[in-house]
Amino acid sequence: MSRKENRSISAALAAATCTLLGSGVPAPVDAQEEPLWDFNTSLLYYGEDDDRVKDYSVSAIARRMFVDDRYLTLGLTVDGLTGATPSGAIRQDVPQTFTRPSGNAAYTVPAGVLPLDDTFKDTRVALSAGWQQPVGETSLINVGASASKEYDYTHFGVNAKFARDFNQRNTTLSAGFAYSFDSLDPVGGAPTPLTPMLDVGDTSNRTGNPDKDVLDIIFGVTQVISRNLVVQANYSYSMSDGYLTDPYKVLSLVDASGDTLPQTLTPGPSHQYLFESRPDERTKHSIYGQAKYFMNGKVLDASYRYMTDDWEIDSHTVDLHYRIPFGADSYFEPHLRFYTQSEAEFYQLSIPDSQPLPSFASADYRLGDFDAITAGLKYGWRTRNDNEMSVRVEAYRQTGSVPAGQIIGNQAGRDNYPDLNAIIVQVGYRF
Amino acid sequence: MQRDIRLDLAEDAWQGRFQAMGSPCEVVSEARKRGDALEITSLVAAEAWRIENKFSRYLDGNIVDRINSAAGRPVEVDDETADLLDFAVTLYRLSEHRFDITSGVLRRVWRFDGTDQVPEPENVREVLQRVGWHRVDWQRPVLTMPHGMEIDVGGIGKEYAVDRCAGLVKELHGDPCLVNFGGDLVATRAPGRRRSWKVAIEGDVTAAPDRIIELKQGALATSGDARRFLLKHGVRYSHILDPTTGWPIPDAPRSITIAADSCVEAGMISTLAMLKGVAAEHFLKAQNVVFWCRR
Repeated sequence: MSRKENRSISAALAAATCTLLGSGVPAPVDAQEEPLWDFNTSLLYYGEDDDRVKDYSVSAIARRMFVDDRYLTLGLTVDGLTGATPSGAIRQDVPQTFTRPSGNAAYTVPAGVLPLDDTFKDTRVALSAGWQQPVGETSLINVGASASKEYDYTHFGVNAKFARDFNQRNTTLSAGFAYSFDSLDPVGGAPTPLTPMLDVGDTSNRTGNPDKDVLDIIFGVTQVISRNLVVQANYSYSMSDGYLTDPYKVLSLVDASGDTLPQTLTPGPSHQYLFESRPDERTKHSIYGQAKYFMNGKVLDASYRYMTDDWEIDSHTVDLHYRIPFGADSYFEPHLRFYTQSEAEFYQLSIPDSQPLPSFASADYRLGDFDAITAGLKYGWRTRNDNEMSVRVEAYRQTGSVPAGQIIGNQAGRDNYPDLNAIIVQVGYRF
Repeated sequence: MQRDIRLDLAEDAWQGRFQAMGSPCEVVSEARKRGDALEITSLVAAEAWRIENKFSRYLDGNIVDRINSAAGRPVEVDDETADLLDFAVTLYRLSEHRFDITSGVLRRVWRFDGTDQVPEPENVREVLQRVGWHRVDWQRPVLTMPHGMEIDVGGIGKEYAVDRCAGLVKELHGDPCLVNFGGDLVATRAPGRRRSWKVAIEGDVTAAPDRIIELKQGALATSGDARRFLLKHGVRYSHILDPTTGWPIPDAPRSITIAADSCVEAGMISTLAMLKGVAAEHFLKAQNVVFWCRR
């Protein structure tokens, strides 16, 4: 049928409707799908106790809707990081002096105190853009790009995902990838792995600006089981290649008593520390399962992730969200998350001077054996002007341990793994 | 039949609710006083029930029943019925005979309950003998229909009722008001206290709405088979039947939502588009109407 004949149908229908309703020409319709732009903004505070890391983060995601279910998404996040982070050196019964990562100055940590590197101060700006659109009647494609910049780190990334519905739209299969290219510009230059922390002003073991790339590939299936239950399963593969070492982390070189070997440099290091060394490749596999169960407005969202990698870190994550409506326009959402991981094969508390140097070693607590629990509550409500507001408060606790075989002499009496407590407060506004 | 009205203050608007034409009906108004809101809701409910009583094919003694039980004798109808029949004739022509108010008897063999009960072709052929407006003699105001045939104006009735009710509300009150009968609705005016009326179009899998439409003024109507379908050997039979074949229209969209000046127009365009099957979107694009189509 031609376009012209089709038009005459709506005209004929309009005329017939006027006759039927016996009214004049009705006021013209004014309808559109929800606003073309919507914005999701949030303010986040993350604070670790004991003067460790604090992060104030502002983020905004803007989404522009186009006809035929196509979307453009733009994101901006600005983080302000301050505080200190464990350097990897162990506690001592005497004060310890370290050369700052810049190599320009030194700082001293009192006896018995966990050495923290307090030069950790940074502003990070991250941008992202994404485009989503249907392909044919049953498929959806997403493509995106991201970039971020902080004073010692630059990231560029691209990603794409394709999803297709089957089985009356009850089954969705998806495949995606993300590739990122990151370059580091560590303060003072990246130290050569497993070389000593040198005196102030001595930069002979600092090299140029290393980089790394990361490829992630993900396959997923989402299945609608019933009107109330939707389940999802993913497999993802991640391959990192390049400089994966943390240029600011060190290990203490210890003698048979477990104490760090002293040295006599002024003002520079009071003891012997070696910069850490990690393999330049890391391959991760993870399996993820999620179930969402809808019960009369309540939603239970439960997920589990198992991750294993060739650094021999295995982790398990269980994440539970339960959304409970409260009145017509608000809800509470308790959140519980449990996490546990085993230590990397090259994780070690300190390096004994009696043994040959290993190829790889790190005392980074994030590569250690630890458990973490997050407990939180979110309250969300609809504002008078029909926008959405939410407040989330969560507590995070991480407790770890060092394998007994790594503890030498006097170390046995010390608190070796730096436990961590943090508070997260987030305020979100969507309009 | 449940004939009562509930009135609640939901946020900043009055929500009057009642049941009519097999659907939950609501009237949302920004009336200042409870009494005004009650008056509006009562007026709308009374009109909805009047139309239901007059045209429901499930009730005895009304005009539809008189026509359907006339057994071949001529029946003289009143003006309102005649207007609806004239309108149905227009749709019959515009749809190339696929919108047919005599097609209701096909439901004797097609029961759309989500099962695999697809009827035998011979049973469909048999019932089809009693379908077809061309067999009816309509000389306004007299209708003569062969014995065994039935008419059902249910395909127009709800949208007609929504428009009639919105018209009555406009005459009575200037306050912005939304008349919604089971998803077919009209906004008389843009709401005063917010940017627009937000209408959620329900998704078919979860209870979560998958689309929110901001309506300031005018009508929305949705045709679809989110729950009314048959499934056999992996073939989904939609509840949109083609009265020229007796079988469901193949490849009809899951649902079509139309925005138009009146609810009757919105509803009829969505129905005509459904009857186009695979060509529904093509048809809608040519109509120059605002539409949302889900496959």
